Amino acid sequence: MAEVRFIQRHSLLTRIVHCTIAVACIWLMISGLFVFVPALAALNLDLTRFMKVTHRVVGVIFIIMPIFGAIGSPAGLIEFFKKYFCRWTPEDFEFLKKFVPYMLMPKKVHMPDQDEVKSGQRFADGALVIGGLMMAVSGLFLWLGTTIMPVSAGTLVVMRFIHDLFFLVLVVFVVAHVFLGGGMFQPYRGGTIKLMFGNGQVSEANALYHWGFWARKELEDGSRVVVKKVPEEQRKAISSKASLGK
Amino acid sequence: MATIQHEYDRKHLDERNEYKASTKAILFDSSRCSGCKACMVACKTWNQLPSPTATNSQPWYASLQCPYDLGSNTRLTITFREMESTNPGRPIDWAIGRRACMHCTDAACVTVCPTGALFYDEETGMVSHNAEKCIGCSYCRGACPFDVPRHTGSDDLSGVNIRINKCTGCVDRIKHGMDPACVTTCQPGALTFGDRDEMIAIAEKRVEVLKAKGFDKARVYGATEMGGTHVIYVLKYDIAGYELPENPGISWMTTASEIMKPVLGIGFIALIAGLGGCLLSGVGYKRDELRYDEVNHDVINVETGEVVKHIDKEAGER
Repeated sequence: MAEVRFIQRHSLLTRIVHCTIAVACIWLMISGLFVFVPALAALNLDLTRFMKVTHRVVGVIFIIMPIFGAIGSPAGLIEFFKKYFCRWTPEDFEFLKKFVPYMLMPKKVHMPDQDEVKSGQRFADGALVIGGLMMAVSGLFLWLGTTIMPVSAGTLVVMRFIHDLFFLVLVVFVVAHVFLGGGMFQPYRGGTIKLMFGNGQVSEANALYHWGFWARKELEDGSRVVVKKVPEEQRKAISSKASLGK
Repeated sequence: MATIQHEYDRKHLDERNEYKASTKAILFDSSRCSGCKACMVACKTWNQLPSPTATNSQPWYASLQCPYDLGSNTRLTITFREMESTNPGRPIDWAIGRRACMHCTDAACVTVCPTGALFYDEETGMVSHNAEKCIGCSYCRGACPFDVPRHTGSDDLSGVNIRINKCTGCVDRIKHGMDPACVTTCQPGALTFGDRDEMIAIAEKRVEVLKAKGFDKARVYGATEMGGTHVIYVLKYDIAGYELPENPGISWMTTASEIMKPVLGIGFIALIAGLGGCLLSGVGYKRDELRYDEVNHDVINVETGEVVKHIDKEAGER
């Protein structure tokens, strides 16, 4: 039997919130297309109306879940902000500089060590958070402003513009997020999805590869390290596949 | 190249002018309107849009202008404005206006409507609608420079039953040889219906008469606005008295939102192609399995046992 070390990267609450928001976000994008794209809107009016109603119901879930997460763990929220609004290291700048070449030539370009949240991840996740926030606010205006709390036509046109603009932004960042986080890209392959849709643990080997600074700190600290005994023949498979992170 | 473009523009303009000339229009002469609101009643009657009659079911406006604005059951309202006059013999300009769909040739509402619920009536040029096709997105409400479209069912939070409700130009009546309901009932002759070019000619003559009488700010409105509207106004006083924009146009935000649709399609294809390229570039990628010796601060290759990196803590490395 061999020992394989894992680091607990995400809590259960984080995973539940992320999972719900992810599903909600994808449904909002699909149902939103039924109003955004005229050909889809006119395809079947009953279907379009159904999509419109679900867009509102799921929109409520999309708005409530982050609030639920923040109330469930205020300390986690503070930690979240600290991770994203931190001082940039030279390695952070180097990561960004190498990001495009790395995506195109991952076998030749090697990334520097990173903290718990990579610099590129701060940009991408920041765009997702800001985009989600703007969609939520403009969506509420478009919904309530045309029903029980009427707003001016000028407000509606501004809110529609914001809603459409950030939809474009979100499409780009959500697709990229799924591509990397879902482990489609080879260097991210093999279990990345388990970080948010599984047990939230990342293997030592993969943590060292993706977030070197953070991994070493956690391994030295030990409080989030989980040791599992596995047959020797499974060790390599786990180390190379389990729980990669973006 | 410039000549070709010029030729195209001229041809396009000719076609549009020909189209407008062949279409119909309602002429509203504000100098003849007495503010009796019979047109509002006729509109409500023909279109079966009764106002609620229960006690206190309507807001109190303390004004002759009532309902104060268009609403879910009001497609036409008459506006009243008292303005200070520069004429000492006539200290108050009492502007009586009309608020309803202008039936634009370049209608923003038709452009943004995703289902085709709003459409041009080819015979008359009026902007009509099919409420059955409306999905209640309310894009038309924000896009209209005259703030005209309203919706029924908008008091329901679910929004399931929201449907467009605005002036149709009474195309149903016109096709049966009748004038629009509002025009039919107008006692002082402020409303006239006919060929658009004829209505403009009448309006221009009337403006000349008004100017000769000292109403120096009298003008025709709608001849060119929004590509030419199918409701032509004779404004007796300054335009400020009529709840009409001086230069109506489609907001750049509305235009940008429309442009975003093809941009999204092209951008999405480009994104998928780009990520597909990344996916292919990563095929066959392999890396060494590493572990960390936190006692000696060494990063070690598991296969070879080789120390690939030593973290010099004393030097401040992490």
